[in-house]
Amino acid sequence: MAKMKKKERGVEFKQKIVPYMFLAPNLLIFSIFIILPALIGLYYSFTDVTLFTFDGFNFIGLKNYIKLIDNEYFIKAFVNTIKLVIVVVPIMYLASLTMAILIVQPLKARGLFRAVYYWPVMISAIVIGIMWNWILAGNFSIFNAFAKSLGIQSLKTLTDPTFAWWSVVFALVWSRAGYYMIIFMAALLSIPEPLYEAADMDGASKLQKFMYITYPAIRPARLMVFILTTMEIFKVYPLVTTLTGGGPHRATYFTVQYVYEVAFKEYQVGSASAMSMVVLLIVTIFTAANFFLSKRGENV
Amino acid sequence: MKKASLLTYVISIVVALIFILPVIYIIFSAFKPSAELFSANPTFIPKNWTLENFTIALSKGNFSLYIFNTFLVAISSTIIAVIINTMAGYALSKFRFKGENVIMLLILSTIMLPLEVIMVPIFSVLRFFGLYNSLWALIIPPAATPTGIFLMRQYLLTIPDEVIQAARIDGASEWRIFWNIILPNAKPAIATLAIFSFMWRWNDYVWPLIAINSPKKYTLQLAIANFSGEFGIDYNSVIAMSALAMIPMLIVFLIFQRQFVQGTVDSGMKG
Repeated sequence: MAKMKKKERGVEFKQKIVPYMFLAPNLLIFSIFIILPALIGLYYSFTDVTLFTFDGFNFIGLKNYIKLIDNEYFIKAFVNTIKLVIVVVPIMYLASLTMAILIVQPLKARGLFRAVYYWPVMISAIVIGIMWNWILAGNFSIFNAFAKSLGIQSLKTLTDPTFAWWSVVFALVWSRAGYYMIIFMAALLSIPEPLYEAADMDGASKLQKFMYITYPAIRPARLMVFILTTMEIFKVYPLVTTLTGGGPHRATYFTVQYVYEVAFKEYQVGSASAMSMVVLLIVTIFTAANFFLSKRGENV
Repeated sequence: MKKASLLTYVISIVVALIFILPVIYIIFSAFKPSAELFSANPTFIPKNWTLENFTIALSKGNFSLYIFNTFLVAISSTIIAVIINTMAGYALSKFRFKGENVIMLLILSTIMLPLEVIMVPIFSVLRFFGLYNSLWALIIPPAATPTGIFLMRQYLLTIPDEVIQAARIDGASEWRIFWNIILPNAKPAIATLAIFSFMWRWNDYVWPLIAINSPKKYTLQLAIANFSGEFGIDYNSVIAMSALAMIPMLIVFLIFQRQFVQGTVDSGMKG
């Protein structure tokens, strides 16, 4: 009897340990490679550590943060990034929603259209950058050849700050809209058909159906797309590396690139960490604001 | 079913061309001889098709090594990702335990800490563990993903508890249950995770950028990015390798299109 009980308890004990063991590899990786670095980064941001002095450095309080206010390159990169978020998010949203509406139409070869709209998502940001650089840059680009055939003489393209900036916007939307399209598509397809049939019977117009049925129904997807694009734009870097390199005259210089260069080319790890923390804070505020604003709207 | 109007077709086709033509143009460019690549009047279709951009990049340019490195990283990391994310998904879908909510919160918080924001301290962590300039740094840390965990958890919730209970009564060990019952029953979700993981690792740039120093360990994306920035480097190879880097992904996509769409819906909505 006693033996039996012991065994049972053993089984129970094992049951309790098992889930932790299954979670262990993931949690270990998350702790070492995400949580720990985030804490180290926070700590570094209060020190004068450089890439060569990981073993001996001083605590300097808020100095790194205060210096950021006068750092015109950081301000420039930061403002550029915020501008990019403000411009790309609505364009991405409209483009992906339009594409989703197109592919839920009763088209022949609907699957083919869906595949074609989605496929740029599969291409790496590095190659997307190379591709658009190759198409746009310089006098010998096919873009300029096309412009010439329309009678426009040699545009400056990527050496023109405004043109370069909008090229980044375009390449971002071009390469990522397919992803968000799928999220909208799933939401559109889950709207019950009888809703539209009832609206048809009441003689509702296409626009009315969109405004009063479709748009409210896809609310969760809209929130999702807003949050995901915002986070994505704050991280933008690989695409810019090969498309414009941040230029011309820092017109397409964004925060991640600047943080990378301060840390690995100027070796100012402490300073770079402070910038990372500022970015992290802003991303969190943007996401939380998005989330709560839309939640509040939902309850009204 | 109603039929789409002619206007819908026209718009859909124009949008499709916007997505197709740039990709085709860069693939075509890869087959152009130098004289045509750097011509003042570029044509869309090559006049004289040539393979020399590819052969030069692969033989002289070390690109065969970079492709090998990339395959090695993508495949190993995907195998690890499938195993550990399914394990975590299993624990979170079929067990009740203390600290469950804290662990869920921890996993969610990792979504808010993108690699790009913590790359500087990650560099010192990698150095501390001796992973700097090692391909292991590209294989192990990226294998654990919140998206992967949630994808697997969501799917494993659909496996009936009775199946697991029956195996326990038969005296099967927990590890055996995982290996013989959970893994084989989760095949559709595993396929989705594996395809996504392969794509993420194949296209990855930021991890290699932080972790790799020596050109012998370059991945394809890192090599393309580094060489495109250098002047005087042979741009033909960069174009050819960019075209080549897309091809495995396009093939994977054509075969597994359904998994990609389903995976985007699942991970996007629930991740």
